[in-house]
Amino acid sequence: MQSFGTHREHPELKDLVVEASRALARLDAGRLEELALSCQVLNREMKSAGAMERTALAGQACDAVTDMAVFARVLEATRANLNVMHRLRELYAGRLEYGERAARGWAVGKENGHGDN
Amino acid sequence: MGTISSALGMMSQALDADQAALNIVANNVANANTPGYTEETPNWEENQPVTINGVSYGTGVTETGPTSQRDRVLEERLDQQQQLASASGTRLTALNTMQALFTPDSGSSSSTAGDIGSDITSFFDSFSSLEANPTDSSLREEVLTSASTLAGDVSNSAASLNEQRAALDQEASGTISQVNSLTSAIAQLNQQIMSVSPDGDAGTLEDQRQQDLSQLSQMIGINQATTENNGLSITTTSGQLLVSDGSSLQLTTGAVNGVTDFFLGSTDITSQLASGGGELGGYLTARDQDIPSALGSLDQLAYNVSTSVNALNNAGTDLSGAEGTGTNAAGVTGTGTTPLYIFSEPTQVAGSAESMSVAMTDPSQIAAAGFGDGTGDNSNATAMAALAGAAIVNGQTPSNFYSNFVSTLGSTISEVQTQNTAQNASVTQLQTQNDALSSVNLNDEASAMTTLERSYQAASQVFTMLNSIMASALNLGEQATVS
Repeated sequence: MQSFGTHREHPELKDLVVEASRALARLDAGRLEELALSCQVLNREMKSAGAMERTALAGQACDAVTDMAVFARVLEATRANLNVMHRLRELYAGRLEYGERAARGWAVGKENGHGDN
Repeated sequence: MGTISSALGMMSQALDADQAALNIVANNVANANTPGYTEETPNWEENQPVTINGVSYGTGVTETGPTSQRDRVLEERLDQQQQLASASGTRLTALNTMQALFTPDSGSSSSTAGDIGSDITSFFDSFSSLEANPTDSSLREEVLTSASTLAGDVSNSAASLNEQRAALDQEASGTISQVNSLTSAIAQLNQQIMSVSPDGDAGTLEDQRQQDLSQLSQMIGINQATTENNGLSITTTSGQLLVSDGSSLQLTTGAVNGVTDFFLGSTDITSQLASGGGELGGYLTARDQDIPSALGSLDQLAYNVSTSVNALNNAGTDLSGAEGTGTNAAGVTGTGTTPLYIFSEPTQVAGSAESMSVAMTDPSQIAAAGFGDGTGDNSNATAMAALAGAAIVNGQTPSNFYSNFVSTLGSTISEVQTQNTAQNASVTQLQTQNDALSSVNLNDEASAMTTLERSYQAASQVFTMLNSIMASALNLGEQATVS
């Protein structure tokens, strides 16, 4: 992989962040996993970066601050949506369980006949 | 009893049930592109077995009607997010229109209403030029010209903001008729649903109600609660009742202090609606919060610049030797009978921006000289030029006050843009989930949930890594700069 800051083939940090927000909005898990890999590579490269590249990356980081805030909000909204979906699933599971228990209880009551408490 | 005739009867029932199920599938296909239509699945019910001599004989199944694949919890969450996204989207549009007044277009040096920032600089610079040659008539003309440009741009900006406020007021009151017609329609649907299907899903009637609820959520912030017999009650997000089962309450409007206020019965609920969400919330937030705040800043700037410049000019001597009526820093009061004002003197802060204008028509009345120092003196022009660097507007120089106002507006826009992007993303995600839930295939539903979980986990990883990369990058940048 080429070093960042000097070659335009390499995506700017800002582009990465914007793309991550978009992929998360459309729930493109595959794209997000690709981006996670890109971030791992970027993280590795940063450790061996030269002075000029470091300065360039610092500039990119400044440019990406606003988009990072957007990404954070989208992530926050996704977590809230995920919580809703989890609660929904629990609700369904509860309904099913309640339904089964109620049915079983009704059957037991029937077998025991009148006077059962 | 297991006879040929009962077997044929069961087969006939099975065929009827299959036919009913096929009708439901055909209905799903026919309505695939109908907005708001929720797919239906057939319900099978086992027929009561017949027991003869202790032996139980099955009698097949009957199709008991379709059930829509909907989930009210998810739809309600979608409606709530839609309300937030509509509010921030509407507010954002209004804020961008406001910003266009103060930010020069790309490739241009001035914005729609001129460039107040450079007007302020030019105005005080004109006193610096006059200071060098206080009797020069062209330099005196230049002071009045730059004063006129500044006053004109401030006044035009304020007038444009007031026009925008009036337009938002109209838009806001225009939404009320739509809100009222939607709440009436929902109340009617409630009545139908409660009588037709008090214990179960009412199919297309519920689709219609959900569609009306979605539209209502675009307009206004609401909370919804299911009532007995499959009814629905709707309140504003602050709790005012709009629909209770089969009856609806109408919102009304009335003029209060020059703008439209919104009432439910006799209660003014304008501020609650502003914070509630939907387009109406966005319009009202821009009308009652963003524009008044911008106007307030412009009024403060106009008032303080006008009164400070007037006070100094009135405490000096003009080119003809006439003194103003004011008192100078040394406590000497001028001998004049009429004040020497450059700008129309405002009497109060509110409205100062729109009414800002140049009152002086004769440039020789600019009091460049101090009291008793002769007409060639420049001490008062020097004092007026120094106002550029004086903290005369809320503890800030005029230029700093204005640039802070513009940057605060920019920050507000950036924040609302961020909110709007995230809320729209959330709406998209929920729509995807809702579509999957409406699908007849339960595997699709489980797969949609897995995708949501997988996306969230991958995005969390990306966020954590990006956050770390950015923090390190900023530190690396600092080190590079220091070395």
